[in-house]
Amino acid sequence: MRRFRGATLTLVLVWLVAYPLALVLVESVRGDGGWTLDHLAAFAREPQEWSALWGSVWISLASVALAGAIGIPVAFVFERLDFPGRRVLGALVALPVVLPPLVGVIAFLFLYGESGIVGRAVALVLGLDESPWRLRGAGAILLVHAYSMYVYFYLFTRAGLTRVDQSMLEAAESMGAGRWETLRRVTLPLLRPQIVAAALLTFMTSLGSFSAPYIFGGGFRVMTTQIVRTKLNGNLPLAMVQTASLAVVAMAGLWLLQRSRGTRSVVVMSKGAPPAARLIRQPLARWTATVVGWTFAVLLLLPHITLMLVSFVPLGTWTVELLPPRYTPANYLTLVADPEHVRPLLNSLWMAAVATAGAVALSLWAGRLVVQRTVPLGRIIEGLTNVPWAVPGTVLAIALATTFSVHAPLIGRFVLVGTMLILPLAYLVRNIPIAAGSVLAGFRQLDPSMDEAAASLGAARWRTLRRVTIPLLRPAIMAGAALAFATAVGDFVTSIVLYTLDTRPISIEILSLLRSYDIGTAAAYGVVLMVISAGAMLLGTRR
Amino acid sequence: MERAFLEVDHLTKRFADHDAVCDLDLAVPRGSVLALLGPSGSGKTTTLRLLAGFERADRGAISIDGEDVTSLPPAARRFGMVFQHYALFPHLTAGENVAFGLRNRADTVERVREVLRVVDLPDFEDRAVAELSGGQQQRVALARALAPEPRLLLLDEPLSNLDPALRDRTRRELTLALRAVGITTVLVTHDQEEAFAVGDLVAVLRDGRLQQVGSPPDLYLRPATPFVATFVGRAGVLPGEVASAGHVRVAGGPVWTIETGSLGTSARVTVIVRPEDARLVEAGGLAGTVINRTYMGARTLYRVQTEAGIVEVEAPVGAAVVGDTVQVTASRGHVFPRDVAG
Repeated sequence: MRRFRGATLTLVLVWLVAYPLALVLVESVRGDGGWTLDHLAAFAREPQEWSALWGSVWISLASVALAGAIGIPVAFVFERLDFPGRRVLGALVALPVVLPPLVGVIAFLFLYGESGIVGRAVALVLGLDESPWRLRGAGAILLVHAYSMYVYFYLFTRAGLTRVDQSMLEAAESMGAGRWETLRRVTLPLLRPQIVAAALLTFMTSLGSFSAPYIFGGGFRVMTTQIVRTKLNGNLPLAMVQTASLAVVAMAGLWLLQRSRGTRSVVVMSKGAPPAARLIRQPLARWTATVVGWTFAVLLLLPHITLMLVSFVPLGTWTVELLPPRYTPANYLTLVADPEHVRPLLNSLWMAAVATAGAVALSLWAGRLVVQRTVPLGRIIEGLTNVPWAVPGTVLAIALATTFSVHAPLIGRFVLVGTMLILPLAYLVRNIPIAAGSVLAGFRQLDPSMDEAAASLGAARWRTLRRVTIPLLRPAIMAGAALAFATAVGDFVTSIVLYTLDTRPISIEILSLLRSYDIGTAAAYGVVLMVISAGAMLLGTRR
Repeated sequence: MERAFLEVDHLTKRFADHDAVCDLDLAVPRGSVLALLGPSGSGKTTTLRLLAGFERADRGAISIDGEDVTSLPPAARRFGMVFQHYALFPHLTAGENVAFGLRNRADTVERVREVLRVVDLPDFEDRAVAELSGGQQQRVALARALAPEPRLLLLDEPLSNLDPALRDRTRRELTLALRAVGITTVLVTHDQEEAFAVGDLVAVLRDGRLQQVGSPPDLYLRPATPFVATFVGRAGVLPGEVASAGHVRVAGGPVWTIETGSLGTSARVTVIVRPEDARLVEAGGLAGTVINRTYMGARTLYRVQTEAGIVEVEAPVGAAVVGDTVQVTASRGHVFPRDVAG
């Protein structure tokens, strides 16, 4: 029966991941009277749909280009040059990652929006009645994307640079290559896997990006917001086709980028060291580098600072002043004192905790089967754990909403939409790739003889798991769980499709507070999410 | 005939494309140390993993003290194993590692202390594994394997991870510890010196098949195949032909006095000559050129390239220099019929 080992886990993953997506595809070509191409035709006839799909694609491509243009040079500067404050700044510039998407967006709103601090300042200087710009459209979306996603390029490139052996650069030099030629012909090709990985992550994140287009989009259409709007309007068949179209684009992007990663794997020697950072000695250059570096860091931290500032603003007190005139801790007190405000906080926490625990359990199960026992279904299991990552959150939410709004237990469908279970389940599915990525990598680093050593000492399977495997995997589990928890706590894109009044999470509450102009409380929630994310990142990256 | 303590009977393991272990028979008396010796890919590690239970045999049986353990899982065999990279649990202290296999024993604390004393690491209970040197890790791994009083001890290249200076000392300590405990042991190594130093019996494997098993002097003085002769110690290999009983014509030239056994006259043979059995002579030997000279203290080793192959000769330090034309003769050697493999 060896052929069927791992069948149970495969079935669970198929049911959670592949089946809902397949149902979306099926629903998009089904009508009341059976199979039909009507919905597809309706979609294809509508220029708005095409412009939304095209909007999603070009925004994503532009985000990759912009984020790369910022992130790669910054990584080189911090890895290869030494100047005062390099270490502190090098850590600070990664800070945009601690802002969950919706929180980052509202911070930009408070900072660069038409009634934001920068807008007011410019209007004041120029003697205008109002901000000379409105934070709307593709430009606004790209600004947010570049800000939050250049970090992928920055972190990946830096990680790659630390693995480029100095002796390779010296070898190129000894053969007469100059600095630019070495960069072009040695360093960049060696970095290719990292750069492609960052591009892939940026592309997928932008394609699935919902918060920025939802808040700033205005008349500019992208597919994620289009889907949610169609769904809210009740045109389910069209929503299915839209969802399927976005899923297809995501898969195509994934496939293209995976291909360009190249089949040649660059073998980087374990011995050898990366070149030491070059100290800038010339005083003027040193001074310039320091000033530019700090300016860049302050620019990156302005959204965080703004968010904190606004979180202390009492309701209705900030009207025409440049900076809020009054501050109060009341917004934070209401988060713990007012039952209506406590609820979203508790909702987000328990749902994220349950989802994280579930995703970690599935990951451990997958690691045991895929890495330790190398079951024949291993490749399929690992592939399935990756799928939710490659699918925009909106698509996943719609797929789960479709699957779990029908009662048909025999084909694995239950009515969960509208219950308190649907959001934790959706978070769990989105968390699977995050937790599994970390846990599977942890399993792969485990010395297989650890297991054998435990067995030779008479330990049975569960004792080995409890006493040896899990303790050794703890850093990997912690890292995966922390990132998964932070993602789930800050989730907006799946929540907006699936929440109910009783299970509304923080992000939905932030949105409704913004609508009632209670920006102080909204910002206070944002700060809480930011702190949770930062804590999770710290926990997750600690060795 | 009395049954040996560990008996391996027709053990066979086939991997996708080749026989890793083929029809292997072994018998190890209680309390002795068997060294499995062979080049990489010879099947020695697979044999050890079959003994431990990490691999399942396709055919054959393993029994210990009369009990068939062939289909028992590793955890139920009560064998101790020391892994090549030790596989110490990094999240546990040295003492906790040693105690890992001591479940439900009232005397765990005393036993841990006792075993750590056997490997000469008293008071190491609370040390973190990462703090230990390579040699100390090796000894903790040994203590951990010995603690539950296993029926059989398995050692996978136990010294290969140590630097040469430490290896010699650790080998002596290991031998002493094994003797002190008196445990039946199977050790895997690719190092002939290690096999001879630690093993009471040495089994030479090649391509998954047993070539010969015997005491170290047995293997050295009475190799069963040319492979064993060349793998165990230094040896020159030359073609020859039986001239008459006890005389062999080497490479169509000189006739050397070598035991020929039951081989008939003019049988084509392979002649194996150890350096200490070869001499440089003025005339009447096999002609060749000195291509290398290695000073080894009491003796000097000359590598002589003849037309039929390379012969190594032990001779006084000033006997020749590189480039000299010399003549080689031998007073002892081994002959094998030419059709014997290897």
